[in-house]
Parts: sequence; structure tokens; C-alpha cells
Amino acid sequence: MSWKKELEEKLIREKLSENLGGNERVKKQHDSGRYTIRERINILTDKSSFHEIGKISGSATYDENNDLVNFSGSNFIFGNAKIDGRNIVVGGDDFTLRGGSADASIREKHLKCEQMALSLQLPLIRIVEGSGGGGSVKTIETTGRANVPEVEGWNLVVESMGTIPRVALGLGSVAGLGAAHLACSHYSVMVKEKSAVFVAGPPVVEQIGQKLTKNELGGYEIQLKSGAVDAAVDTEEEAFNSAKKFLSYLPNSVYQLTEQLSTEDNPNRTSEWLIDAIPRDIKSVYKIRPIIEELVDKNTFFEIGKEYGKSIVTGFCRINGWSIALMASDPYSYGGCWTSDTCKKVQKFVDLAETFHLPVIYLVDCPGFQVGLDAEKKGTIKEGVRAMSAIWQTTTPWLSIIMRNCFGVAGAAHKRGSSYISRCAWPSARWGSLPLEGGIEAAYKSDIENSNDPKAELEKITTRLNKLRSPLRSAETFLIEEIIDPRNTRKIMCEFADLAAPLRKIGMTSRTMRP
Amino acid sequence: MIYSEVSGTLIKILVSKNQIIEEDTDLLVIECMKMHIPITAKKRGKIIDIFIKEGDLISEGDKLLEVVYDF
Repeated sequence: MSWKKELEEKLIREKLSENLGGNERVKKQHDSGRYTIRERINILTDKSSFHEIGKISGSATYDENNDLVNFSGSNFIFGNAKIDGRNIVVGGDDFTLRGGSADASIREKHLKCEQMALSLQLPLIRIVEGSGGGGSVKTIETTGRANVPEVEGWNLVVESMGTIPRVALGLGSVAGLGAAHLACSHYSVMVKEKSAVFVAGPPVVEQIGQKLTKNELGGYEIQLKSGAVDAAVDTEEEAFNSAKKFLSYLPNSVYQLTEQLSTEDNPNRTSEWLIDAIPRDIKSVYKIRPIIEELVDKNTFFEIGKEYGKSIVTGFCRINGWSIALMASDPYSYGGCWTSDTCKKVQKFVDLAETFHLPVIYLVDCPGFQVGLDAEKKGTIKEGVRAMSAIWQTTTPWLSIIMRNCFGVAGAAHKRGSSYISRCAWPSARWGSLPLEGGIEAAYKSDIENSNDPKAELEKITTRLNKLRSPLRSAETFLIEEIIDPRNTRKIMCEFADLAAPLRKIGMTSRTMRP
Repeated sequence: MIYSEVSGTLIKILVSKNQIIEEDTDLLVIECMKMHIPITAKKRGKIIDIFIKEGDLISEGDKLLEVVYDF
């Protein structure tokens, strides 16, 4: 007597589960240029590596003899798999079954997926489409009662933010709990024109008098600029590649450290053009990204949150093969001044580096916080001190290289006061409590007003003070540790990465990061 | 459409209506936080309309130029 019959019945259910929401719904999904969840997992993961958990969980109907009539799988699919040979957990919504909503979901599967990634200490990739297992208005009819809202298992999500890398891909319309899952990640991606993310979609928003299309309400341009989502790409394949690339810089969990990869890029490589990279005219700006690309191991810079809080560029890179979190000021946005959004971006990025034990390199050109009425209305100082505090709470090795401006409280946030950091400056560096250009008229008001020639007096004072602000004079009194030749910056960075590597410590941080 | 990503004073308009612009061309210069920040073309296009004049105070999100990219 064998158990073949039971296995055959299992296979029947598995086969039916692969039908997803049926041919018509699958066709509709394809016609709109989107893959089904099973196709997505197949493309994302290494061939035949997906081990699905709970494949025959779903909804079955039986006849009067208790024989199976039909079976429909749950609209949340998950399991473990490999990407680039590395174990991960992946879970995703099947939009072809009730739009991914709770009506066709089994809540325990979502929880198990979260538990699995957290317990096995593996990165989690969530593929979100629809309401991500959240309820819909119809839920009241299918369950016969109204539910008191709760997000069961959110504790797992919160814990995993401080334990394992979480990547979320929003590959269609994403609302409610789905939007929450997308936002609650270390890195999130949308597909341009095909994804839209919102708390509630256009039909609901129309009830408050806003008639908007999906794109107008929650398209990629809105969500990247708001900082709710980190990146947008043209195709689903690019979204999968972005997820892989992001994870390639991180350990599987906080209980591991990233390894040094081999690199053909010479750690002692010098860059002649960097001697001219910073214009002598202090009003002129320069492009920071070519400088970053020049300094890091070739083709390893991976930018995160490009469209948000743009006066800071953040991303991962490799320096002499080590995984490094890199921040750099971008003078093209508010001259490099920290806006309220910039401060929030810094908080998240610094927390990310601290969580996964990545050393930080910060290329500094910060004239201060953004000033003016807009800045005050956005609570810049409040977000600013939160960003500073996030930096102060880090313990990860840190190198700051002051390239140009370093002024005021925001400028001071290039270092933590609590422990050692490595620091140096380019000869183009300028620093102080306030840029001279902004403060001479106020500080020397009476001298200028009482002068017979106020304009000449202003020029005289400016010339006098300019001589005093040479970074070499600060170095003479050891206010700055070292003035370096910009052409040798990569060498300094590689030396730092080598020195920092053995200092990295595994484990959870005392204050785990919030999304 | 090109919108301002910073607030400040428009100090230079470097293009005119119907001008073909190449990727990375500087189109306008805004003085912001005492820096001169160019607004550059993200790709090749043609200027259809200019909504501002030199000396204007600009706010973040203000409409600056109308540009078409397929022509």
C-alpha cells in the first residue's frame, strides 16, 4: 500500500494553484505589461531555486462526497530561494486573485513569511501589488462582520528592520497595507508608469474632492520626491536587478559582516583632475557624482534616493573591495544646504549604515541648513537635530573629507562628538560658524556704517578676514587634522576602509532603525 | 515641463523660445543660498515657452520652462 493517491491529490491542488486567478485575469495582467507573481519570482530568483511554502493553501470546494471540485490558491505566495547563489526569502501578492486583497489571502502566510526571513536571518524581498493582503470594503460581506483594524505581525516587520535587509518592489497599484509594506523597507522600487503607490486610490480620494489619475496621485515622480519610495525603473526586470544590486552590499543579517570582494581597481590610484574639481569662485557649483565615481572602486556606486533630499547624495559603494556607505553633498541642490528632506534622508541612511555595520564616508560641502521662510515652515531645525543625533548615535567607523563648505550646525554634523572619527580636508575647504559672505555686514555693521566709504570698508574687512580663513591656519592649530591633496583622496579612502574593516561588530544596534 | 527644484532668484536665462537644447545644456541660473545654480537639460529637447524673467523670485515647484522632447 503506498501513498501515491494522496500525493496525486496534492499535485492536483498544486497544479490548480499555478492557475492563479484564471486565464482571463492572467491575460489582463499580461496585457497591462505586468508579470504574474509566479513569473516575477522565477525571473528574480536563480533557476529552480524557489522552494514555495504553503503552495496548496487556499480555498477549496468539495462535492457532497467530499471530493475536491475546485481549488484556488491563496493570493500571497512565499518561500525561500537563491539570488546570485545567496539564500533569501521572497513573498509576493497575486494581483490576479481579488487584486491581492485580504479576501483571497490567508493572513498566516504573511506572518510566516516575515517569521521565516527573521528567524532564518535572511534578506526579505516583498513583491507588492494591490492592497498587500489588507482588507477591502467587500471584506465586511465575506466575513459577515466589521473588523477592528489591526496589523497583526507588524512587530515582526519592526524587528526585521533592525535585523535583516528588507527590499520592497511595488510593481502595480499599491494601496493601504501594501503601501505600508513598500514604505517599510530599507530599499523600495517602483516601475515608471506601471506602478502607483497611495494610502488610498483615486476612487476614494475623489470622495474628498480630488479627481486625480493613479499617476497624478501616486506615480513615481510623486513618491520619489516625497521620499516614500527610493527608486523607479523602466521595467520589472530592472526592478529585480536593483533589488539584487542593493542586497549585494549588505550582509544577510546584522549577525554577519560583508566580505571584501576582489577588485582590479588600484587603491593607490591618483586622479589628476580632482585638483581642479572645486571651482575657486565660491558661487560656482560643481557636479559631485563624477567625483564619487572617480573615488570609489570602478562602477560600484549604487545611489539610493536620488530624487529626495537632493542636497545629499547617498549610496553604497566598494572601496578597495569593502562595502561602504557613502554620503556626499550636492551643491546643485540649495548649494549643499541641508533642507528638511535632506535631514530625513540623512537620518535614514545613517541608521541603515549603522544597522548593517557599514563604515561611512562623507564628502562634505555643507554651507549650513537651508534658511528662509520655506525652511522654517518645514521644521528644518527639528529634522536637523534629529539627523545630527542619528550621526551622534553611530558607532560604525566614519571618515569625513571636507571638500569645500562646512558651516554652522549642519556643517558640524559631519562628525560625531562622542567618539573617534577619521577626518581630513581638501585645500578648497572653508569653515566657520557662518559663511563670511552672509555675516560680515551684520557683524561689522557699525564699522561699515561709520566709515566714510562703506563699500571700501566692507571690502577691506572681507580681504582681512579671507586671509584668516585659510584651512592651513586651522591646521596649524590642529582644528583640522590634515589637509590632503585631492588627487590622493582615493588612497585615503582605501586606507580607511582597510582600517575600518576589523572594527565592525556584529549584532543588533541598541536603537533599531525605523522605516 | 521644467519646474524649479530650489527657491531663489532667477539671475540668468540662457535660452530662448524655439531653441533646440542638448542634454546637459545650462538653461537658467538661479541664485540660491548665495550660490549660482544652473538648471540643466536632462535630455535633448526644444524650448516651447519661458514662464519667468530675470530677477524673478522663484519658489520650489514653480513652472520655469515648457520643453518638448519628441519633435
